[in-house]
Amino acid sequence: MSKDLLNKKKSKEVKIFCDITKCVGCKSCEIACAVEHSQSKDIYSVVKESSRPKKRVKAQSIGKRVVSLHCQHCEDAPCVKACMSGALSKDPATGATLHDNDKCVGCWMCVMVCPFGAIVQDVENHIAVKCDLCPDREDFACVAACPTGALFVGTKEEFEKKLKEKAKKE
Amino acid sequence: MKYVIIGGSAAGVTAAETLRKYDKKAEITMVSDETFALYSRCLLTYLISGAIDEEGLCFKNKDFYKANNIKTYLGKKAVAIDAKNKTLTLEDKTAIKYDKLLIATGASPKKLSAPGIDKKGVLTVRRIDDAREIISMMDKVKQIAVLGGGLIGLRDAYALRKRDKEVTVIVKSPQVLSQMVDKEAADIIQAVLEKNGIKVKTGVAAKEILGADSVSGILLDNGEKLQCQMVIIGKGVNPNSEIASACGLKVEDAIVVDEFLRTSDENIFAAGDVAQTHDIARQVKRVNALWPCAVEQGEAAALNMSGKSKAYDGSLSMNSVDFFGLGCISMGITKPKEAGYEIISKVNPGVYYKKLVLKGNMVTGMVFLGDIKAAGIISILIKSRIDISSIKHLLLEDNFDYAKVMPLVADNQEKFSAEEYKDLMISF
Repeated sequence: MSKDLLNKKKSKEVKIFCDITKCVGCKSCEIACAVEHSQSKDIYSVVKESSRPKKRVKAQSIGKRVVSLHCQHCEDAPCVKACMSGALSKDPATGATLHDNDKCVGCWMCVMVCPFGAIVQDVENHIAVKCDLCPDREDFACVAACPTGALFVGTKEEFEKKLKEKAKKE
Repeated sequence: MKYVIIGGSAAGVTAAETLRKYDKKAEITMVSDETFALYSRCLLTYLISGAIDEEGLCFKNKDFYKANNIKTYLGKKAVAIDAKNKTLTLEDKTAIKYDKLLIATGASPKKLSAPGIDKKGVLTVRRIDDAREIISMMDKVKQIAVLGGGLIGLRDAYALRKRDKEVTVIVKSPQVLSQMVDKEAADIIQAVLEKNGIKVKTGVAAKEILGADSVSGILLDNGEKLQCQMVIIGKGVNPNSEIASACGLKVEDAIVVDEFLRTSDENIFAAGDVAQTHDIARQVKRVNALWPCAVEQGEAAALNMSGKSKAYDGSLSMNSVDFFGLGCISMGITKPKEAGYEIISKVNPGVYYKKLVLKGNMVTGMVFLGDIKAAGIISILIKSRIDISSIKHLLLEDNFDYAKVMPLVADNQEKFSAEEYKDLMISF
């Protein structure tokens, strides 16, 4: 299983999808994301850390529905084009949009152009932060924490298939 | 195919990278009059402030040219284009043949005509050498006058204040950032600058720069004299289009290009600060001398140079600044002069000021100050020129986010063609 997940993570075609019909806006993804990007990676220790960890995913409402939204790792990424310091780049192998904290000067050009508003300002450290696809773990913290199964890891086709199967059952 | 690119900054480097991405065999040559390669001009003020070192200026890996198999002529100025014989000549008489040429020569600081301008200590911040010179003088300088209260002038002033200098900004307009934001936002920014020790004088201009060989002060047109050992001119830029006009290319405010970034010569393209392109918000031809626009244009020009006909959507004027932790982003038309515009705004005193400029239910401009997180979402509304009336009441709310725009994206799918928009719509 873990090997399968790792391979999935490395694939360009695989991404995290959110089934809007299933998301209830419980914010478990937000908490898991913040904890994963903390020093201790432990929810009970996070509170005492000097620097508050930043979540990179947000449960957003559309009327009565909710979508859990994070960086879409755009193929033709506007943030990479706008980045004047070279902090943002595309990983040619995985398709991930990478952010190098050391190169970031906090000019917010990426915030200015991200179509999804998915780049977060870490005001304390004066750098931009975004979904990094959880490099320290085999799976994704937000997906692992999702209690309703709204967050799904796979290819677009797999996600569409899953939605169709669900529709049939209903 | 022989591609030659003049200019080694955002537009030129992006063009070279794009050309190589689609053509592994092409001969790509880059010419730049600077020897320190692959650095980001926008970061020079960060170098001056001490936030980064010279290494940190580079926006591409050091091995970029080698990795992309690009031949370079660095530290050599391109002086003439022979369009008929498709030849570029450098200052040392080197002649380079091309099939397709890209002019990405950028821009140079606007000059000032006041007397005393050639004294030692009068500087601009455009090239690495400028920044190095300023840094080398830091120990000898206590007071500095910055001429220009636009983006460039204020960034210069901010960097120098970070070096604990006594900085005074001289602004001809009645407000700072007059091209970028409205009076309301400008006043808030000015107050933050002043609170942090930067003096700002609006509505005055430099009349004369005083001193013997070196600067000792500045005389303003209201008769006031300021003591300073350095004067920074930060008043905007002019396109480096001389080489284009000299070879007969059509030049207006900058080099005129069509939607394919092609100049009046079918084998010559232009991109970046030297190109005059379609402005999306204003629906006119305009020079938007900005990093993101230069990158987009460099890419689009390269695609068209290599025969992949790809129209460029046009550019959107947009700026982001952050002074002492106060972030501000503006786009498009921020201060409409004609009738027919509607302005909506929201203020949370001491926290944020947000304003949108609407026309015919489309967003044509914005100023976000203090709370900039949703700026990118507004940018797609401006670029797509869609009717926002159904979500108008949400646009300035604290919880405005991408989800609020999803119904509009669903209704205007032809305007949102990138796969990422579609992926988010699958279960919508």
